[in-house]
Amino acid sequence: MAAKRGTDEMRDRVVLGEFGVHNVHTTDFPGNYPGYEDAWDRRRFEEAFRVDIIREEEGALEFDMVGIDAAIANAFRRILLAEVPTMAVEKVFVYNNTSIVQDEILAHRLGLIPIRADPRLFEYRNQGDEEGTEIDTLQFQLKIKCSRNPQAAKESSDPNELYFNHKVYSKHMTWVPLGNQTDLFPDADFRPVHDDILIALLRPGQEIDVLMHCVKGIGKDHAKFSPVATASYRLLPDITLLQPIEDEAAEMLQKCFSPGVIEIQNIKGKKVARVANARLDTFSREVFRHEGLKNLVRLARVRNHYIFSVESTGILPPDVLVSEAIKILMGKCQRFLNELDSVPME
Amino acid sequence: MVMKNPDVEFCGYCITHPSESKINFRIQTRGGLPAVEPFRKGLNDLMGVCQHVLNTFERSMKEYRAQREEEMQ
Repeated sequence: MAAKRGTDEMRDRVVLGEFGVHNVHTTDFPGNYPGYEDAWDRRRFEEAFRVDIIREEEGALEFDMVGIDAAIANAFRRILLAEVPTMAVEKVFVYNNTSIVQDEILAHRLGLIPIRADPRLFEYRNQGDEEGTEIDTLQFQLKIKCSRNPQAAKESSDPNELYFNHKVYSKHMTWVPLGNQTDLFPDADFRPVHDDILIALLRPGQEIDVLMHCVKGIGKDHAKFSPVATASYRLLPDITLLQPIEDEAAEMLQKCFSPGVIEIQNIKGKKVARVANARLDTFSREVFRHEGLKNLVRLARVRNHYIFSVESTGILPPDVLVSEAIKILMGKCQRFLNELDSVPME
Repeated sequence: MVMKNPDVEFCGYCITHPSESKINFRIQTRGGLPAVEPFRKGLNDLMGVCQHVLNTFERSMKEYRAQREEEMQ
């Protein structure tokens, strides 16, 4: 029985020791463990797999994926970061820039502004196509000139009073429809996601007059195309107390973990520690610094329970991003299957 | 996915050079099967997994939103 428990632990827990992490890699492949059925079984996977949505807020989503392998969860994370397409400013045609900000710096800043445009409505631009057509390009204009305010008080030094338009915000970017875009998108409102991104500062007499072309791209090409502020996952923590811990040791144990993880109950007059909610812990390993507590606790993580946290930049809601990432992985598999079928094998 | 196939004796990949996007992927079977079969089966199984994950995720999102609607009212 103990041997079986040992192998069970090796198979589905990643153990955090004092000086290192053990059982990191997935080992449940057919043939490794006698007596275990490890071959791929679709029905077993579908029965064990589940997705629990924990929290959905404005632009951020936290959900659990249970029963999936590390490689596939990591693939979803990587695709969310680098391969879900968005629209961003790629070419900036500078007609007049007499501001302090150099042309290339201004162009770089404009490229990083997230644009609220559903990338699924657009196509990728063909390579070598310099002009851009209405199906793959969005055009924006930024035309602003700073002037002096004649009604300002003589001694004031507040730039908000002295000058008009001295701060260039992203709300000054206006959409210029190309070709038949007004018919294709009659009630669309293409603009930056946030109106209050400061682009440049001006003084009287300086002006900026640029035309911008937005194209569809992926994060692998340039980070400005990444649709997530960040997408990350962690494994579910699993804390086991190997012996009952009481009194002062219990108090010390509670301080070693994040608040809410260990709770102290009063059983027959004695204070006994109990693991209340291991999920909240961030595993600072403070327990290992105390000689008395080191060997009474086992810190581990559940190998196939992933707590995903996806935060979107505002272009698409985070659940749409996750669905798109899964569809992109399916598209890649399909492409390889088509290749396999088309190339003749000896 | 390919490693989960009991007919596969060896499966591995390596990236020839980080500047080129090329991967050498090697599958060796226990004799008998052509090696393309586990590859094809692995790809099909992965498609199935993705489809199931997508369905489960969308179903969970719908349930979560419906539950939140009820709590709000």
